[in-house]
Amino acid sequence: MNIYNISIPRYSRRHNTIKMSIPTAKLKKPTLKVTPSSRAMNISTSGILRLNRSATYARSINASVSRKSFCLAADSKILEKSSVQTPKHTIQVLDENGKDVTPRPVYQPDPAAVQSKHSKIFASDTSGGTMSDFYSTTYQTTTNASFAGAFTRSLFGSGSVSIGSQSIMESMSEEIEDPSSKRDNSISLSDVQVKREEVKELIQEEMLDDMVDLYLVESDTLCLLDMPAISVSVDSMEAESVKERNSRYTELCKNRTGNDKYMGRSMQTFNGASKTKEVQSEAITMADAATIANNWDMYDSFCSAGQGEVDLSTDTDKASIAEMIHQNHGPTRTMERTMSVISSSTIVSSSSSRMEMEPFVVPSESKPDPELILQSEEFQQHLFVMERIILENIYQPKLAAYRQLPTLEDPDSMPKAVPMVVSRREESSLDEEGPPTPALERLWSFSCELTTGRNVSSMAWNKRNPDLLAVGYGQFAFKDQKPGLVCCWSLKNPSWPERIFTCQSGVTALDFSASSASMLAVGMHDGTIATYNVQSREKTPVIDSSDCVHKHTSPVWQVRWINHERALSGEDKGEALISVSADGRISKWFLRKGLDCIDLMKLKRTRNDRFKRQVGEKERKSEALISRQAPGLCFDFHPTDSNIYLAGTEEGHIHKCSCSYNEQFLETYQAHKGPLYRITWSPFCSDVFLSCSSDWTIQLWRQDLFTPVLGFMSTQRAVYDVMWSPKWATVFGAVNEGRMEIWDLGASILDPTIVNPASPGVKLTSLLFATETDCVLVGDSDGQVSVYQLKNFTAGEGTQVGTLEDIIGSTLASQL
Amino acid sequence: MCAEVEETLKRIQTHKGVIGTIVVNAEGIPIRTTLDNSTTVQYAGLLHQLTMKARSTVRDIDPQNDLTFLRIRSKKHEIMVAPDKEYMLIVIQNPSE
Repeated sequence: MNIYNISIPRYSRRHNTIKMSIPTAKLKKPTLKVTPSSRAMNISTSGILRLNRSATYARSINASVSRKSFCLAADSKILEKSSVQTPKHTIQVLDENGKDVTPRPVYQPDPAAVQSKHSKIFASDTSGGTMSDFYSTTYQTTTNASFAGAFTRSLFGSGSVSIGSQSIMESMSEEIEDPSSKRDNSISLSDVQVKREEVKELIQEEMLDDMVDLYLVESDTLCLLDMPAISVSVDSMEAESVKERNSRYTELCKNRTGNDKYMGRSMQTFNGASKTKEVQSEAITMADAATIANNWDMYDSFCSAGQGEVDLSTDTDKASIAEMIHQNHGPTRTMERTMSVISSSTIVSSSSSRMEMEPFVVPSESKPDPELILQSEEFQQHLFVMERIILENIYQPKLAAYRQLPTLEDPDSMPKAVPMVVSRREESSLDEEGPPTPALERLWSFSCELTTGRNVSSMAWNKRNPDLLAVGYGQFAFKDQKPGLVCCWSLKNPSWPERIFTCQSGVTALDFSASSASMLAVGMHDGTIATYNVQSREKTPVIDSSDCVHKHTSPVWQVRWINHERALSGEDKGEALISVSADGRISKWFLRKGLDCIDLMKLKRTRNDRFKRQVGEKERKSEALISRQAPGLCFDFHPTDSNIYLAGTEEGHIHKCSCSYNEQFLETYQAHKGPLYRITWSPFCSDVFLSCSSDWTIQLWRQDLFTPVLGFMSTQRAVYDVMWSPKWATVFGAVNEGRMEIWDLGASILDPTIVNPASPGVKLTSLLFATETDCVLVGDSDGQVSVYQLKNFTAGEGTQVGTLEDIIGSTLASQL
Repeated sequence: MCAEVEETLKRIQTHKGVIGTIVVNAEGIPIRTTLDNSTTVQYAGLLHQLTMKARSTVRDIDPQNDLTFLRIRSKKHEIMVAPDKEYMLIVIQNPSE
């Protein structure tokens, strides 16, 4: 930044532009020059110097005493001293002849050659900016002054001067070490001071704002080395002459041999005496460094360097270096990391920061806190995966059976389990009485300590992920109500649910949405309907119907997401949530400034009259009814026509309704004598549906007949749930209080094919078929959802749709 | 958050056949363990080396790949290792118990 480098003037003595040369030259010969001209000069300079000093004081910021002493520094100071002393005793060197051999200064300062501009530049510099400059000058002056001092001492031995110069030197050296005091460059450079002095008088405040012109002039070129070219281009102008010369020379060479003009002569030269000089140095320590550059190491370094993320790699370096320094346990680990450090540093050579990093001892902040580790997301994720893997190990045979995969025998496991299975097979094959009997095998059960003691009220599969099961826990009876629970279980973890949602009151109905697969609708015992988003980890429902004006006032016994393809109006298109509740309303819920519902149907009480539908008729006086609504307990939409649905009431009536009419029922089917707990259309035959009720019966209906086609009764227990098998047309499952039954109409219409009794003291409350495998889930009143696999259930010709219709047909025929 | 972690850890330890659970940090110092110290240190040290080697193998074949889980099934046990940059989770289970 400073072009006024002192080193330059050394060589550019002749440059008038850079005036610094002058004082440097002058520095070489301080104190000793006492030529008349110089003396005059001295006086003048000293005089000016004094002025200058005061001026400098005026200018300077720090007026330290040391400064004052230093003002006497360097040649000018020495000059001044000498000039002060000059009137008293001039320094003169006289040889024995009395000749004045006082050394003259090599260079006479030429005050006439002042260039004010230059000094102006100089003056306008801040002292701080030229401080480095000054240091170099002071250094010079120190050395020179030391020379001077020595010289003076040796020559004169005059104590005062030498002492003075010594003291000057000392003070100078002190001054040089003291960085804080501001120095003016003018102090050391007398000539410049002279100019500066002139300039200073001129420069006042207003001049400071003037534009200063800087003139840079090129100095003469110094030739340090000149190697002329030894070849010339063929096209150049000299080519001809060069060629001629070359040819002449070859001629000459040819003529040389045998020519008298040329004589060969030898000479002997003195060889310089050689001297051996030995130098000893310290042994160069060699260290071997090795590294293994792995494929991935190179890839890592390439990625991190290419993205400019040097920080990332330095962080890893930091961490690794920190570990190296902290002496971790496994030595190989150190080696590994060292290797990676070295390899990465050898490969990525660009960053300078890395070079800085290596010898750097990093504090242990990079070592992660154990607590942080335990709370980190990755740790949770790993724990999650680990748990699933452990459970997979435990449940592997069961899960394989569920998925209908062949179970692998663990070759190292104790063979105690094997013979039992073998024997059973042997037994069954020994029987040879026909195909092996269908049976249920219990695989596992979903339960944890949260759910024990709770009654399973409903279960639903997720529509998109068939491994996800939502189970709602809530009491049916009114008297022992407690806060309900919804657990989302995954097949991969039967011991702990993935999501747990607690609800204020018992959960009585659940359904997963088909369009947005993470929405779960929950119906509760107090009539609230809430939807949860199972993807998020939030424990609160997305939306709740408790603020709705038209909310249900009685337990919601069923909720279902129904897709209306043929919409009544524009808004009804898409999926809607339909619920039936004990207050006798079937409502359709939608989101419009909050959850709101409209009533699709009000289930009016109908008299138990087979022959007539009496809607809105006045009741007979003898019957005093509490309400005109019949509590609805279940409903089911037609599988193909989403406008038609069946609703079952507590009276035992099944009403066929349509979404288009919300005043009247289309049909009423009356057969049951007790509350209907479930109605379900057959997924294969679109006309057939099943209903089960607490009157111990299950009835099979056909849509167009008002009496049930078939009735099934096995025990004298209320049937809580019935469901068609999604795989076989003639199979359905039913659960009553004491046992679970699988009926196969193709096999028998009188008795269930498979019966599985419940554990004592536990009531079975709900049933769900698995869609892709032949497994059945049964929920009970103890909070367990057991998974059973249907074994040996052959899908022969006895399970087709045609068979079902045949059965129905034959039954009807037999009835008639 | 932390409670969930604790719960999950506890549940893992109580699963059928699980012999021990170890969590070590990047330097091999055990943070959580249900085994005694010498066994823990031994498992941690040896498994760390093996994990490094396994990771190196996986990444040598395809540098964009990375090791996520390591399971070693032996006659008596199964050792499951979930490696990470800052820690390592080790569970030893006897699956046929």
